[in-house]
Amino acid sequence: MMIAVSLNTKALCGHSARITAAVCILASFGVSAADSQAGENVFKQCSACHEAGPDASHRFGPQLNGILSRGAGNADGYTYSAALNDRVSAGLTWDEDTLDAYLKAPLTYMPGTKMAYVGLQDEVDRDNVIAYLATINLDGSASGDSSDDAASSAVADSSASGPAAEAAPRPLAIDVPIPTHGVLHLGRPATEEEVAAWDIDIRPDGKGLPPGKGSVLTGVDIYDAQCASCHGVFGEGEGRWPILAGGFDTLTDARPEKTIGSYWPYLSTVYDYVRRAMPFGNSRSLSDDDVYALTAYLLYLNDLVDESFELTDQNFAQVRLPNEGNFIADNRDEESWFGAAQEACMNDCIEGPARVMQRARVLDVTPDSEDEDGGGTLD
Amino acid sequence: MTDKIKNDDAASPNRRQALKAGLQLGGLAAGATVAGNSLAMDTTKPSDPLITEIQDWNRYMGDGVDSNPYGSPSKFEADIVRRDVAWLTADTKSSVNFTPIHALDGIITPNGLCFERHHGGVAQIAPSDHRLMINGLVDTPLVFTMEDLARFPRENHTYFLECAANSGMEWRGAQLNGCQFTHGMVHNVVYTGVRLKHLLAEAGVKVRGKWLLPEGADPAHMTRSIPMEKAMDDCLVVFKMNGEALRPEQGYPIRLVVPGWEGNMWVKWLRRIEVGDKPWHQREETSKYTDLLDDGLARRFTWEMDVKSVITNPSPQAPIMHGKGRTVLTGMAWSGHGTIQRVDVSIDGGRNWLTSRLDSPSFSKSVHRFYYDFDWDGREMFLQSRAIDSNGHIQPTKDALRRARGENSIYHNNGIQTWHVRADGSAENVEIS
Repeated sequence: MMIAVSLNTKALCGHSARITAAVCILASFGVSAADSQAGENVFKQCSACHEAGPDASHRFGPQLNGILSRGAGNADGYTYSAALNDRVSAGLTWDEDTLDAYLKAPLTYMPGTKMAYVGLQDEVDRDNVIAYLATINLDGSASGDSSDDAASSAVADSSASGPAAEAAPRPLAIDVPIPTHGVLHLGRPATEEEVAAWDIDIRPDGKGLPPGKGSVLTGVDIYDAQCASCHGVFGEGEGRWPILAGGFDTLTDARPEKTIGSYWPYLSTVYDYVRRAMPFGNSRSLSDDDVYALTAYLLYLNDLVDESFELTDQNFAQVRLPNEGNFIADNRDEESWFGAAQEACMNDCIEGPARVMQRARVLDVTPDSEDEDGGGTLD
Repeated sequence: MTDKIKNDDAASPNRRQALKAGLQLGGLAAGATVAGNSLAMDTTKPSDPLITEIQDWNRYMGDGVDSNPYGSPSKFEADIVRRDVAWLTADTKSSVNFTPIHALDGIITPNGLCFERHHGGVAQIAPSDHRLMINGLVDTPLVFTMEDLARFPRENHTYFLECAANSGMEWRGAQLNGCQFTHGMVHNVVYTGVRLKHLLAEAGVKVRGKWLLPEGADPAHMTRSIPMEKAMDDCLVVFKMNGEALRPEQGYPIRLVVPGWEGNMWVKWLRRIEVGDKPWHQREETSKYTDLLDDGLARRFTWEMDVKSVITNPSPQAPIMHGKGRTVLTGMAWSGHGTIQRVDVSIDGGRNWLTSRLDSPSFSKSVHRFYYDFDWDGREMFLQSRAIDSNGHIQPTKDALRRARGENSIYHNNGIQTWHVRADGSAENVEIS
């Protein structure tokens, strides 16, 4: 029998460091090596918006208990997009094939979906996360068996940093060498690679910027896929997620809008923060060039550059934000109440009896109470 | 009947009769005694069956010593928990909850009730997998394991940690009806850890090193710039709170402690400290944690937490249930500048003040406990507390703060809090003239 074999393992296996060559080759031969335990690891990306398991509830996305058996678009209490509802009316149901296609490119498979996620490119990751979801029943309980094949051990988390295997005998204390650095000679010198892995901060003068570049136009696509669902298509903020653009000349208003363009002093902060903390739920997943592109696009959304602009490590330090000069040092000690030489009044300090000027706006602060909006967001 | 009486039966048949007769006499005698003391006891009202009847807990066994290897409070205290306010933030994983200060006493916050503030959920890190790196302007960039840190000389300190946004909702006026929500982003625990200066000495700080950048290992990779003078002063890298390992919510296995300074700087899940010669102007010290003034300028690097106090009982979550008469008022006070020298209390909305009784151990940059014992006449009150710290700073009114800063600075609201206690003992968060 002739078997069509795809040897393009890289295309199939993507860039995931979790997959070893053995599993890649198995996958390219079409052999199912789906590993639900590895899939649970993949699911961590999804957990920014989805819950699955006991007590799973709807978040930005619906809870996924029994997703492979319950059909599509029918989780109680969740408001699906019109796009998904239309597909369900046309007969869509979730199985291994449809889920695989959807997870690979959600916005292509279902334009208008609320799941503004760039997609899971790696086929093995998709197989594994679908296998993991298949182990969770409708009531959130686990169906028990997780595949325990070669893939499982091959994909096992290789934490080379754990303690030594139990079998190894402990060295004699007298034989343990003492380092030469420092005062108490504790710890060990870091390697260059280790420092490079963690030294991710960027300063306003550009120190720390990695080589790279990104244009506004490249940034649009990344932003729409990875950022818009929370920050809004124009950076206006969805719901209580932070606003990123606009708000010019509002700082003295009753309700100022503090955005990158209206408030942030330095562009380096944008690069630094996106690189270390975004997207929410999948930190450190963007490439350095991605971050340049997104930073360029955020400048564009704030009307600070035009659409032809490309941001690079070379021109970065020349980009200044409008509010840079409006920050002052802490001078609370100049406020009239702060002085230490004052006497505290003890009697007849205010004329006339106290009158209520305002009562609590939010009388019932329990989580169910959604009547009052309070004084704005905390974040 | 006892064996003794049975044995005596054999010896003396009449002894039982004599005993019985004696008991009857004794009973009469007892009755006579009761009549003699009747002035002291109540003979008019029915007795409380909780006393006159045997209760289940008097009779039946409870849990054995193997039931609760890690103990919890009584189930009757189950409503004393951290609480969050859902509409404050977009997602609970980048959000805050509040210490139930209305129900606590003393100065130590129990570990399970310390408020949480995360920007990427609670990281779960195995201590054997965690590392602390020191890099930058140092002679030798270093990596420490948790075992390494346990070998440095340790210190114990009791410090408050207050979020700079504590009471931030109240700038515009009375908003949230309970001190847990208006003032609950604060806790006070005993930290065990190592002075940061010892760790820096291992790496060898270069002369040009003037600033530190601590960084966390959670998804937010939280960073702040800290000036070297503070770092070398009293900053600690800690691994224990109130005697046991840091809770995951408080940064297990290690966090930074920056005594008296805003809570955001106390980086949790600490993984790295970089030494540099300039501040980094990270997101949490530019976009956030800068204080916008009403002229459009904003203060940055507002590090210190100012003198502050709040009455925790009575308060909206702790109404006076017992009617007029002897009443205990209590609250807490703290200052990032030192100890609390005095807390004054007013029951008429700041027209007249009396000095309360401070009653707790007094440590610099730690919470202090105060009490005011008085006879309540049952009429409405406007309760306020005003703390004075060891530098002589007097807690200001909210009006004084708003005059100085406007209403949009979000952070560092240390204004005097007013509770309106009504004639029925209930209390409400108010602003008054």
